[in-house]
Amino acid sequence: MHKLTAFLNENFGNTANQLLDALHMPAADRTHPWQEWLVTEIFVFLILVVGAAMLRGSLSAVKPGKAQLIVETVYGFLRNTADEVGIHHSSKYAPYFATLFIFILACNLIGIIPAFESPTMFPWVPCGLAVATFCYYNFMGFREQGFWPYLKHFAGPIWWLAPLMIPIEIVSHLARPLSLTIRLFANMFAGEQVTIAFLKLTLLIAPAIFMGLHVFVSFLQAYIFALLAMIYVGGAIAHEH
Amino acid sequence: MKTKALLLFVILFALATPTFAQGPGAQTASPLDLRPVAAVIGMAIASGLCGLAQGRATAGASEAMGRNPAASAAIRFALILGLVLIESLALYTLVIVFLRT
Repeated sequence: MHKLTAFLNENFGNTANQLLDALHMPAADRTHPWQEWLVTEIFVFLILVVGAAMLRGSLSAVKPGKAQLIVETVYGFLRNTADEVGIHHSSKYAPYFATLFIFILACNLIGIIPAFESPTMFPWVPCGLAVATFCYYNFMGFREQGFWPYLKHFAGPIWWLAPLMIPIEIVSHLARPLSLTIRLFANMFAGEQVTIAFLKLTLLIAPAIFMGLHVFVSFLQAYIFALLAMIYVGGAIAHEH
Repeated sequence: MKTKALLLFVILFALATPTFAQGPGAQTASPLDLRPVAAVIGMAIASGLCGLAQGRATAGASEAMGRNPAASAAIRFALILGLVLIESLALYTLVIVFLRT
């Protein structure tokens, strides 16, 4: 990844600087606008897209291969979880949740490989995922319920409590992407810091145990991110029957 | 009666803290940096309370699973969700420690 990042900085550094200047976000270090976490994130994305394209060529309803069964299991598990959380037509929203889960899981686990660093260990990657989820569930709420009905549900069921309810609802909605970001970032960051701390103390056994814990936490945090996205989407599209 | 005496001693000790103050003539080169101390105490309080809360969550879930083994899947789901949300509260403190130290 160092070599790929250095290659991109040498050959595409000017392009990156131009793009960042056009967005009024100049790079902190103009000689290295491509940062390693961004290159790793794009690398994970390309691996997943190429893998999915290769899988799509070999999809079969009568004789499914091993990869197809694994992906179907993951997707089915997430769609069933969306049903349990209370989303009625979960097939409409399940692709987003499955993408979230698989992408976050791949980003978390690539840090276990010695030459790579998890992109989710840097606060900007979980922030991007959380902002995307925030936009997604609000957009789904607007699409499902209409513009004004969705905004009206911030006021709560009793109309004269609305001046109290609206600020509370706005703050709690803004706290959602913040908590999603910090939860994922802090778990991955702390997992790596703890492994490093024990690498300085003992040599082999204790860091290996903490890396095993980090793998478990990676799965759990990816699942929790997708689960919370489901809960938020479920809350946004819920109709009061 | 013993707790009242203990409370009295703690209050007297706290009131005596001006004795630790610096004398009027002494000028030190750098002030005492209390940020790491605050970070450690804050993190310890957050982790301790998080441990208590997760213990109560696990205890409730284990008891419920013992009473109704058929509902284990739903109880396990609620347990994992609750544990992760409690964990994230301790992690917010860790983030503040890293931001402010």
